[in-house]
Amino acid sequence: MNKILIKGGMLHTMQEPLFCGDVLVDDGKIAAVGPSLEAKDAQIIDASGLHVLPGLIDAHSHIGLFDFNHDKSVDDANEMTDPVSAAMDARYGMNPKARELQVAYEHGITSMLFTPGSGDVFCGQPFVAKTYGDNIFDMTVKAPAAVKIALGGNPKNTFGALKRMPMTRMGVAHVLWDTFRRAKTYLENQEQNIPQDYDPQLEAILPALRGEVPCKIHCTQYDMLTAIEVAKAFGVRFSLEHAWGASDYLEELVDSGCDICYGPIATYRAPGERRRVDVEAVKLLDERGVNVALVTDSPILSEESLYHHMGEAVREGADPERVLRMVTINPALQLGLEQRLGSLAPGRDADIILVKGFLGLDTDAKVQLTMVDGRIVYQL
Amino acid sequence: MYLIKNGTVHIGDGTILEHCDILTEGNQIQAIGSELSAEGAVILDASGCEVFPGFIDPVSSIGAMGIPGRFFDNNETSDPVTPEMNLKYSMDPDEVNAQEFYKSGITTIGLSPTHNNLMGGQIAVCKTAPQKMARRLVKEGAALKCSVTSDVKQTYGSNSRLPMTKMGTFFLLQESLRKARSTPAEQRDEKQKVICSVFDDCKMPVFAAASSKNEIDGLLHLMQKEKVELTLVDGLAFADSLEQILEQKVGLILGNVNNMSQIAKHNMDLTKLQDLVANGNKVAFTNSCGGWSEGREVFLWSAIEAYRAGVAAEDVVKMLCLFPAQMLGLQDRLGTLEVGKDADLSIFCGHPVKTYAAKVVHSMINGEVLF
Repeated sequence: MNKILIKGGMLHTMQEPLFCGDVLVDDGKIAAVGPSLEAKDAQIIDASGLHVLPGLIDAHSHIGLFDFNHDKSVDDANEMTDPVSAAMDARYGMNPKARELQVAYEHGITSMLFTPGSGDVFCGQPFVAKTYGDNIFDMTVKAPAAVKIALGGNPKNTFGALKRMPMTRMGVAHVLWDTFRRAKTYLENQEQNIPQDYDPQLEAILPALRGEVPCKIHCTQYDMLTAIEVAKAFGVRFSLEHAWGASDYLEELVDSGCDICYGPIATYRAPGERRRVDVEAVKLLDERGVNVALVTDSPILSEESLYHHMGEAVREGADPERVLRMVTINPALQLGLEQRLGSLAPGRDADIILVKGFLGLDTDAKVQLTMVDGRIVYQL
Repeated sequence: MYLIKNGTVHIGDGTILEHCDILTEGNQIQAIGSELSAEGAVILDASGCEVFPGFIDPVSSIGAMGIPGRFFDNNETSDPVTPEMNLKYSMDPDEVNAQEFYKSGITTIGLSPTHNNLMGGQIAVCKTAPQKMARRLVKEGAALKCSVTSDVKQTYGSNSRLPMTKMGTFFLLQESLRKARSTPAEQRDEKQKVICSVFDDCKMPVFAAASSKNEIDGLLHLMQKEKVELTLVDGLAFADSLEQILEQKVGLILGNVNNMSQIAKHNMDLTKLQDLVANGNKVAFTNSCGGWSEGREVFLWSAIEAYRAGVAAEDVVKMLCLFPAQMLGLQDRLGTLEVGKDADLSIFCGHPVKTYAAKVVHSMINGEVLF
């Protein structure tokens, strides 16, 4: 593949403070980042006056799994036949031709975590993929990327309607405790070579127990306490997804060492899970050292609304430069993909965007060019 | 009495006055100009701030959804034709209060039925404060809310009732008008009286939801010879029917365009909003989409999308203020900052169309500062 040299842009590397410099791309990877680079036989892209950022990451999306592109919407995100459906692999529900993916990379979003929905307690296996490509298995960066878990209204309404456990939050907590206990025993048996029946659902939870992937736990308001209690008891890494009401539980969240995927921000306020939608929590958590990512839950809120999510965090006082981290390096770290995604540094995937204006601050900031794996996939 | 000093004042019709003061007394604007003074007035320093008329959301679902969205007091689906329904009776002030609309600069909303009925009822306009209902309600019967979206056929078709198809929807619309008109005035029932007062006497405008191209085209075809003023609601595919929309000069209310893949699904070309502006079509925004809402924030997000698509910032301001007031027939009271109009103000620390850093620093409704 040809070399590309991006010259004279304002570089947001996510590693050092903003500076004016160049990025050299070679064979789909970033080869060098510096104040003044030279490269023979490289295609030159003039980035003067533009911000240069790592491709954006949305760490919680259902694009291609929920499909609203037709009158009758498609739900391939929720296998709601058993509250423990941990083995469901989101890659097989995903439509790689979903039109939203183009909107995503045209807006500079080059990687996303695609996850099963929240209709079960153990909902399935999310994966991380690039937004440009033809075959979802080729686009995939990491699979499975997490164990998706959901608390609250969604699972209890799914199974409550069928008069099956869980009908209540008590029931959800029980399923959570019970399943993790069984998975832990299953893992111990496996490690000690004690014969046991193969259990595909428990198998799917093992990567979390072994610390290879985090649990992504859908919860809001006081459900966060349940999530923290169980996750800590089994020593898994975890992020709380959506996390409305997080500012009410600041101390607990900081102490737990969890990550946060905050969003979608827009929702009407109502008693219960929508009681408090506290965008200001993003700033408070970031200041306390919690790794916060901003997520759209697309296509529930559409992909391009990631900018508006960033903007609402800025409106509530978050520093725009910190907010850029919430859609780049922070989600990359949460997913253990910081060696490939989320920053401009030698060796990283050449997922790079050139932007006119400051994303999350200037409402008319616009991506001029998107590069995925060293290939220019969009140019204004 | 309040004296707002030294702000950048956006009148709401596209005009900007720098270093401008506004004096309010009671619930009205008393004076606008430079170097105003008034004895006994409480001073609000607006230096460095942008002062706007309170923004208006002309077709809000929020306020009548029935917290937490279970009861849907905006959804009388016992019959697809219920023009006699008055949304005033579904207005829940606590549901409105819980949204903190003032944080998005919104001071007035038009409570609207869902898209599930062909004729869902009459929009009631209310302020987002104060608690006292008599002072909150601005106007009932502000517009007749209609819908030809697929929501109608899905609602009734599933029970094997007319309409089950879009053909059925448009048939029912034509037939409802014909029947009402051909019934002698003294024999008309309540529904037919409303239909005739709207479509023949133009007692209130029609707000009609139509999203896809065939819904918009069908509606405009059917309404071509009608004299009642028409505004399209959630006209997401408007760019595909641009010629007709320009020719018939109908209004357009864009629901949450960042909702459920609308931009991708409809292949929306928002740059075509510039054509509407140049042609003089009225455009406005709402927090709702599909008769449902994702909350107050999306109101400004849609405005920002228009700006991103090339509409000038002050033209977007008109879409937040003047145009929705005109659509609801409330231009005498709302939509611009002028002497004698309601003292509804949203004061931001920046221009909310241009920068996300713009935050509301003061909000005033009926001359009372609520924030």
